[in-house]
Amino acid sequence: MSISGPDADTPLLAVSGLSAYYGELRALYDVTLSVRTGEVLSIIGANGAGKSTLLKSIVGMMNRGAAAHIQGDIEFAGRRIAGRATEDIVDAGITMVPEGRRLFARMSVEENLAAGAFLPRCRAGLRQRMDEIYALFPKLHERREQVVAQMSGGEQQMVAIGRALMSSPRLILFDELSLGLAPAVIEEIYRKVRTIHEQGVTCIIIEQDMRRALSVADRVCVMLEGSIVLSGRPAELSEAAITAAYFGQTHR
Amino acid sequence: MTDDDVYWALIDVANGLISGTMLGGYYAIIAIGLTLTFGVMRLVNLAHGDWLVFSAYLSLVFLSLVPISPLYTLIGVVPVMYGVGYALQRLLLNRVSVQAMEQKGMSTSFGLMSPILVTFGMSIVLAQGLLAGFSSNTQVIRNELSYSAIQLSEDLSVSTLRLTFFCVAVAILVLTALLLRATHVGRAIRAASDDAEIAPLMGMRPARIYATASGISLAIAGVAGVMVGMTRPFQPFDGPQFLLVAFGVVILGGMGSLAGSLVGGILLGVVQILAGTYFGPSAQLVGGYMLILAVLALKPQGLFAR
Ligand SMILES: Nc1ncnc2c1ncn2[C@@H]1O[C@H](COP(=O)(O)OP(=O)(O)OP(=O)(O)O)[C@@H](O)[C@H]1O
Ligand SMILES: [Mg+2]
Repeated sequence: MSISGPDADTPLLAVSGLSAYYGELRALYDVTLSVRTGEVLSIIGANGAGKSTLLKSIVGMMNRGAAAHIQGDIEFAGRRIAGRATEDIVDAGITMVPEGRRLFARMSVEENLAAGAFLPRCRAGLRQRMDEIYALFPKLHERREQVVAQMSGGEQQMVAIGRALMSSPRLILFDELSLGLAPAVIEEIYRKVRTIHEQGVTCIIIEQDMRRALSVADRVCVMLEGSIVLSGRPAELSEAAITAAYFGQTHR
Repeated sequence: MTDDDVYWALIDVANGLISGTMLGGYYAIIAIGLTLTFGVMRLVNLAHGDWLVFSAYLSLVFLSLVPISPLYTLIGVVPVMYGVGYALQRLLLNRVSVQAMEQKGMSTSFGLMSPILVTFGMSIVLAQGLLAGFSSNTQVIRNELSYSAIQLSEDLSVSTLRLTFFCVAVAILVLTALLLRATHVGRAIRAASDDAEIAPLMGMRPARIYATASGISLAIAGVAGVMVGMTRPFQPFDGPQFLLVAFGVVILGGMGSLAGSLVGGILLGVVQILAGTYFGPSAQLVGGYMLILAVLALKPQGLFAR
């Protein structure tokens, strides 16, 4: 990967010493992580390892007082975003495709996309951006008037991705991109993600399928019980080491 | 039965349908503010009726300052009530919402109770405030429209005031629907009502969206209040009876549905008027409540719930 300019070494996203709590319950322990512009990072880990919590912390969804809070530092493009409101973080250029898609179920495809462009900086170019998204997902254009609740899981995931893209993000966090989808649909979704990445968007992907996580990523992190226990380039990591980290067995 | 009897029976029904429909438009306006705040933030504003009465007094105050036709006081009442709704939500109700209580470490049931208690308290404070400011004397907003009627046929007529209000009601419903469908703010209101946790990912600020929705809700209550004041005498403690009407309409039409409010309002209006025509004035309220009870028993989600 070639990145030019004086800031080539500054990561786009830098998480350091991050801990996260749901009330008294601690879900993240001292997580440190950085992602460079143009990279694809995939995060794998068992259920309850804290993957979603990490993404929610990054987009400011863990700043809920007694219900949930974080400690530690998060910087995006050189600016501190830890503790800031989700709206401001999204305005700065990060967005998330949440676990379970979380579409606005009673709205049509087009209305969901338009909702994604709520930020004042997105409103002027709404139409053009929407056309770009329809070009990426022609199926959504055919179905634009349909209420999303009536669509298949794969189509809904496309709407969720399209809605996230409406805010013209520099970094997208995908939580459980392929959960519950048929293999052919997963193939298609990943092709789209590759296109999005080629258009210059940095990606963090939570993926349950270990093989796929390794094949799409420039770098992989394995999470276990709230910590990152292993990270590196797919080529440098043996499958045995990853499996061991995933299940929490000591090896070496 | 002579032809004459049949004729008069038909006239009775037709008159009942017409005045019931007109009454229904006015009921719908009383209800949509309530249904809007419930639909968006699951907030039942128990002071809704009192804000409506407050608006009627506000209209009187404007009239005492400038001698204009009462309908023009809407130019002042609507923005003031929008501001009141916005500020109330921002400064008070957002702080006692379920989410706010959760952030303070309170239980969900506490979070569900607190807005009810707060708006109940607000209702008492408002009524007492109006009593202190205006005494318990009944007031009325005098206007020339209440004395005129449009003759539809020799024996059928409709009050000009009621017809005006019906048109205003329909106009408000259409405008509200357009606002919710076709504007960024409207989309944000619907998005936040669907999934308040995810809306911020779109750059939406729930605190502001809720305040805007409350502003719209009270602005509509403002219109309803002026209508009430122009139609009948009112007192500081009349709020709860409008809240009851609103609940009735919402039960019939389904919570959160604008078209349902209009249909629910008309249904309630027609049944009340017809019950009054056939069984005497005291049957009017009873007829309405029986309809509400029947719907609650047979289709508790409301006739038009989605
Ligand atoms: N809203 C919440 N309130 C309380 N605890 C939570 C909440 N969400 C998650 N947790 C807890 O935090 C820990 C991490 O959960 P998280 O959802 O981040 O895991 P995950 O790695 O995304 O799991 P999955 O693969 O099941 O999505 C778990 O122990 C979970 O029980
Ligand atoms: Mg998860």
